[in-house]
Amino acid sequence: MATAGLTAFAPSQSGGVTVTMIRMLTLAGLLAAYQAISSSGLVFTGAMPSLWAIGSALLRQLADAGFYAHLGITAYEAGAGILIGGSVGLLCGIALGVSRLLAAVLDPWVRALAPAPKIVFLPILMVVFGIDAGPKIAMAAISAFFPVAVATFGGMRGVSPILIRVVRSFDASLLQLVRLVYLPSIVVPVLGSLRLATGVALIGALLAEVKMSNRGLGYLIIQDYNAFRTAEMYALLISVFTLALAVNAALRAFGRRYGAV
Amino acid sequence: MANDLEIRGVSKRYGDPPGGLLAISDISLNVQKGEFVSIIGPSGCGKSTLFGIIGGLVPDYDGEVRVGGQRHVGTHKDIGIVFQEESTLPWRTVLTNVALPLEIQGVSRAEREERARHYIELVGLAGFENSRPVELSGGMRQRTAIARTLAFQPKVLLMDEPFGALDEQTRLLLGDRVLAIHKELKQTTLLITHNITEAVQLSDRVVVMSYRPGRVLRILDIDLPRPRSSDSVTDERFGRYVAAIWGDLRAEASRGMKEAEALRGTGRRAG
Repeated sequence: MATAGLTAFAPSQSGGVTVTMIRMLTLAGLLAAYQAISSSGLVFTGAMPSLWAIGSALLRQLADAGFYAHLGITAYEAGAGILIGGSVGLLCGIALGVSRLLAAVLDPWVRALAPAPKIVFLPILMVVFGIDAGPKIAMAAISAFFPVAVATFGGMRGVSPILIRVVRSFDASLLQLVRLVYLPSIVVPVLGSLRLATGVALIGALLAEVKMSNRGLGYLIIQDYNAFRTAEMYALLISVFTLALAVNAALRAFGRRYGAV
Repeated sequence: MANDLEIRGVSKRYGDPPGGLLAISDISLNVQKGEFVSIIGPSGCGKSTLFGIIGGLVPDYDGEVRVGGQRHVGTHKDIGIVFQEESTLPWRTVLTNVALPLEIQGVSRAEREERARHYIELVGLAGFENSRPVELSGGMRQRTAIARTLAFQPKVLLMDEPFGALDEQTRLLLGDRVLAIHKELKQTTLLITHNITEAVQLSDRVVVMSYRPGRVLRILDIDLPRPRSSDSVTDERFGRYVAAIWGDLRAEASRGMKEAEALRGTGRRAG
């Protein structure tokens, strides 16, 4: 059953071409439908600018040095957030996995906070970290923390007890046990969670930028929105999508080297 | 001859006396340096409990276990364990799996790989150094685990049904390999098994255990000439040893089976 399901989704050598073609046709169809509605005059053109307008806005944007500065700011905030939130999440997940007591004490808290919308922390973060990059990095870090902590903890729980016994029987210390068994066992779930963390960290940074900032892609988007430059705003959204997709693909390729799918 | 392993009056009770379960009772056994001893018993004779106690994985028990004359507590560098379950690290190659205990001891990479290669060759896996466990058969993975424990260079090699999951033919052939290793290294070995043929094929002495609580029923000297091989099974004396052990085990095994079935009947889980 599972195998059949997998093969159905994994494009085979010959089937791959067909799947790619259908995907392309779907995209072309959606774009054509969008353009048809846009030029029909049924919808206010401000909300649905023509593909041409979005395309030329995108080209102008990509030729503008200022755009890259803002892109760099957002990437820095999200990246620093992933680094901080991810490493703290990893350490917490490992600690929870090693210590039964710690897990019993903290598990309900993590469970309660993990699915909560992190935007509620933003006002506090702005009070604590001011209005520069600080609250954006903090938002990204909080967002990235939970998926990594939860996946690491889950991965630690899933480590084969027999492997732990074997390595302990060779007189290994706790630190060696973590390095030789736990860490290699959790590489795959942790890399998977990093992909999720990247997405939510980017969302966190953008949200904080939209709320209050004078730099970054979120700031640009809200500026275009306020000035009603819809085509420019859509062009920015396309850039954000592409950025997120690129990071995701890179992490996925990295995960494959460790046997992830 | 010096005793590498001394087990003196070892008992283990799970839970408190009135309702608790006495798993093994007053087990005493010496294993001499270079000797190969098997412990055989029916399911539920406390083999795994005894294995855990000798291996230092079960901390609380009565009696004492001495290795090389020293009373030992917890896992110990003088006891090398081979588990029944799949225990190779799947992300490591055969070479780095076998080198693992040396890595834990802080041996340099060059030296530990050289020593690991020696044991890989000994278990007949030369040429598979860079394979990963997933590419190997069950028997090859178990040999990797044995090479790994041998690389730990313990005083006593303790094996718990290492070939339990394998078919009979593979098991006999791996038995030959174990005999060859034992001849080469003179490794003091204690094997826990429920396979009578395997016990007779490999051992100098066979310890027959009773059903719960596990006691030593009989210790049988296997007086078959060495070097042995799986051809020994055709020896007339081999058959007599197998028959003698089965004679002891039969009543115990059927008592165990009846009790397990009775427990099932009352809806309780059979231990």
